Amino acid sequence: MGLSMLPDELLLTLAEQWPCRDAQLKQLSVLLSPSLPTPSTIIVHGSRATGKSSVVRGYLEASKRTFAFIRCRECITGRHLLERTVAAVVRALQDDGATGTKAYNTRCENLSALVQHLQKLLLGKEEGKKFVLVFDGIDKLRDAPPTLLPALARLREYIPTLQTVLILRHPTPRLLHHPGIPHLHFTPYTRQQTLHILSRNSPAIFPTIPPPRDPSYDAELHEEDKSWLWPRFCAAVWDSLGAAAARDLVSFREACLKLWPAFVAPVVAGEFGTRDFSRLLVSQRRLFQDEGVLLHSILDAGAVTTTTNGVAAAVERKATTHELPYYAKWLLLAAYLASYNPAKLDATYFMKTSERGKKRRAGRPSQKRTISRRLLAPAAFPLDRLFSILHAILPHDLRTSVDVYTLVATLTSLRLLVRSGIGGSGGDVLEPGGKWRVGAAVTWEFVLGLARGVKFEVVDYMAE
Amino acid sequence: MEYETCYVFEPEQQRPAKRRKIDFQGLQASWPIRQVAYEKAWTAQLRGIDKKLAAINAKPIAEISAFLDDVLHSAQQGRVPTAIISTGPDAASQSSIFNALSSLEGSKSKRTLVQLSASTGTNLKALLKSIIQKATTRAEDHDEDDEGHMTTKGGSTLLNYDLEILADYVHDHGLRQVVLAFQDTEAFDSTLLSELIEVLSFWHDRIPFVFLFRIATSLESLQSRLSKDAVKCMQGRLFDVATSAEAVEHILEAITDSETLLWIGPGLLSTIVERQNDYIHNTDTLVDALQYALMSNYYANALSIFLDPYVQYKDVPSDHFEAVRHLDSFRTFCEQLLEKKQALRLKDLLEEDEILFGTVRSMVEQGRKALADLVVAVDVVRELQKHLPQQQRAPKSKLYIQALSHKLQDSSQVRSMLLSVRKAPSSTVMHIMDAILALKIPGDIHDRCAEVQKSLTELLGSSDTKQPLRSEDDVKNSTLRTTVVAQKVELSRQKSSLSKQDEAYTAILRRFTDLLEAYFRDTLIAPTDLVFHEIFLYDLKSPHREAFTPRPRHAVERALAAPHDYLDCDCCKPEVGEGDESTLAACQPATAVLYQLYLESGSLINASDLWQAFRAVLGEEQDEGQKQALFQRSLAELDYLGMVKSTRKRVDHVAKVAWKGL
Repeated sequence: MGLSMLPDELLLTLAEQWPCRDAQLKQLSVLLSPSLPTPSTIIVHGSRATGKSSVVRGYLEASKRTFAFIRCRECITGRHLLERTVAAVVRALQDDGATGTKAYNTRCENLSALVQHLQKLLLGKEEGKKFVLVFDGIDKLRDAPPTLLPALARLREYIPTLQTVLILRHPTPRLLHHPGIPHLHFTPYTRQQTLHILSRNSPAIFPTIPPPRDPSYDAELHEEDKSWLWPRFCAAVWDSLGAAAARDLVSFREACLKLWPAFVAPVVAGEFGTRDFSRLLVSQRRLFQDEGVLLHSILDAGAVTTTTNGVAAAVERKATTHELPYYAKWLLLAAYLASYNPAKLDATYFMKTSERGKKRRAGRPSQKRTISRRLLAPAAFPLDRLFSILHAILPHDLRTSVDVYTLVATLTSLRLLVRSGIGGSGGDVLEPGGKWRVGAAVTWEFVLGLARGVKFEVVDYMAE
Repeated sequence: MEYETCYVFEPEQQRPAKRRKIDFQGLQASWPIRQVAYEKAWTAQLRGIDKKLAAINAKPIAEISAFLDDVLHSAQQGRVPTAIISTGPDAASQSSIFNALSSLEGSKSKRTLVQLSASTGTNLKALLKSIIQKATTRAEDHDEDDEGHMTTKGGSTLLNYDLEILADYVHDHGLRQVVLAFQDTEAFDSTLLSELIEVLSFWHDRIPFVFLFRIATSLESLQSRLSKDAVKCMQGRLFDVATSAEAVEHILEAITDSETLLWIGPGLLSTIVERQNDYIHNTDTLVDALQYALMSNYYANALSIFLDPYVQYKDVPSDHFEAVRHLDSFRTFCEQLLEKKQALRLKDLLEEDEILFGTVRSMVEQGRKALADLVVAVDVVRELQKHLPQQQRAPKSKLYIQALSHKLQDSSQVRSMLLSVRKAPSSTVMHIMDAILALKIPGDIHDRCAEVQKSLTELLGSSDTKQPLRSEDDVKNSTLRTTVVAQKVELSRQKSSLSKQDEAYTAILRRFTDLLEAYFRDTLIAPTDLVFHEIFLYDLKSPHREAFTPRPRHAVERALAAPHDYLDCDCCKPEVGEGDESTLAACQPATAVLYQLYLESGSLINASDLWQAFRAVLGEEQDEGQKQALFQRSLAELDYLGMVKSTRKRVDHVAKVAWKGL
């Protein structure tokens, strides 16, 4: 039986289920052994999608241990975590068949209460049966109290049968203020490992079996073909895109699955055979150059098609634009100018009497290096300055009615105009001399588009 | 009574000593009848508008509910299904859509819809709490103690923002979908929204969430605001609702159908439509404006009593007929009658109320019919524009306003349109004729058009070529020839040879355009030429403007800068030659004096200088202490109005905050 208290067959099944994690599984089986002396706390760490949580959970389930698994990211506050911990422990004990925990109904306000509850729940248990408490993603907990982690690491001092596992991404050196905590590192998968894992499940080439072109092509042949083609395809994706930008398993698999239907489209269409990998690769090389597949979007663009129909997409997008009202555009333009032009140059740019353009500073450029204002954060301006600029840039007279103020309110609710000052959107709206800014969504490109829509040469009014 | 926070108001007298006049006098006597007529007219119109708006929204609502059903039946995936509804900045249309959706949800009990807005909560806890509250609709067995705990059926105590409550509820009630509708996505704090989405997506395996986002700007801006993880956990589709311009067109259609009793004139209508375009995209305000126009006419115009189709002669007080006889259009009508030597009829109209009543009723009916015909003519113009290749397609509202203000008849627009009809090949003309016949225009134009089409069909049937016939007027059929004669270049236009059928076709085309021309001449009349147009055409802009676009800032500034305009006092009346510039005077209210001094100064005002100037204006009549008090009160009032504020730059200065005329 060796050091691991788990039967070898079980370990083998686990290794089969979680490939390339043999070392970690072996370490886990030692560190979490039910009979050997074990450390009070283990830190399991590793970057995204390296199987930390799944392997730990899979191991605990397979070894039939009583454990509570708490997903910290579901918790809103530190207190929420404590309450959920108690609830999870109670549930685990109930599942384990322990008595006396039927109606355990209480609150858990702070860490000492947690210790109390855990003592009450766990101390009565027979000696030798250990309880494992797993905190998954403890570093992502919102509003965590600063004493939480060290306290969790020391729970064993009060409850000898308890063992804590903390799963997190990047441990800092003095995380627990406690020496001698074993750290179990889940290494990122290498290229070989990633490809090995991905090739265990290969997606279908043909949507229907048998394909309409070839009735004799049966499922067995298809199985063989796809498990031949898919690993090669994955390797190509890894070398072109994945290695640099989608290293972790999940995003890499996503990228592969997104590209796959487009990649095999010629095979489905019958232009290439299923084994013509190199020719297919050459003809579809555009897929591997387009980095758009790495970007995430709420809208599912579906599979990437070989003929990137960007034009059609643009046309479709165009139909859905809802235009802002006419004066809202002007207001935004004025607000942008007010935010990005220094107030002292207003007389130069917006006085009706001064001739624009000629006032531009001629002669040699200044020696001082300045950052273009467009690249800086927008400056705040009082509302009256906005209205003055609006009156100055409008090609016709404006009858200032309550509608203009309504527009300001509407734009504020859309976050295109933002009240600046204490607390961002806070402060009294009616406070005299309140300052405003343009919102983050109002970029230079956006403003250029607006200006084009109302035929306004915004460039002439921008200070250099 | 300042020491009391509130008190009961007990008037000393129960009723005023003087009896009020309750009976309506004069033209007001018809008011109850008019009110009933207004109610009827407006309910009918509102029904039409609602029908149109519901028809616009029906499509996106059907699409979204189909999406929700789809999600219900498709397999669970890792990402939360999301519907993004792009509505534009119009706040009203989205709420109507969401309300329609929630009423839709009610029928299927396996789904619950929670509406969220940015005001629901400013932090994650509050948002989750209200989501849970709204989704579970707070069943009776959930009691909450003072520390924010809720007890669920299982006996365990949970925090009230714990989504476990919702998960249990979903499990117990067998809910299959929890739809979260974010009404004003833009107004949410970006980080808060991202966090909320992430937290909810963790629970997606236990609670079947679906998100609905209503966005006013664009999807790109939404995505750029959300965190990468939040974007990753959603999988969405974009839905589109009709733009506000389309909604405006539909509403206009509803108020210009043939049943309309009171027509909105071009001036008012263009004001309303422009406001929609320039300031607000909101169908509700448009409907409000229309209702206000109707109310103004029925309530203020005594003659609107004749608009009621069921009004009887005995219901109309006699002074109303006197009022009718004073109408401008009636006078012109009388003159026309005189010219036509119908003096007897004129005498009857002037003397016999009953005859006048009948005339008014029939003339109003005729006028309304003429307006309805005008709208049909506008439709014809639109159909022509749609089918002719070079023509620009104007929105119906614009054409309608042009037609009502009598700018369409003989306009270059219509003339060029008719010219291009003349040049059109037979295939296009067939389409145009079909479209015009489909309009089912009342009057004989329909039959005559059908006649022309019949002859054209016969002609087309007799020709053996598949090519459409060409018109003689088409420039494509003539070639330009250059001949050099005695070192002069001569240009001559040569008509290419046209077949017999083409010539016949040209003749038919001429008949058709003549027909259209005559039709436009007859229908696109000036509504102000119609007799009694004052009764059925309402075109007053000022009530609308006063009610819907007040100018609060301008009013305050004017009151302070030119108090004479409001007080109408003799002392500071501007001289005749001076225009409206009023001068400073001691008799003006102290705040007004101070404000005018304030206008003259720069952005930082020395309080002492201001006081000196103020004292000089007030003169020697008041004693120093009184002047000081007045000054302090005025400055406090300006501060209260938000025009000055103290500044940290200089302690003895105040900063100017508001400039006049903005």
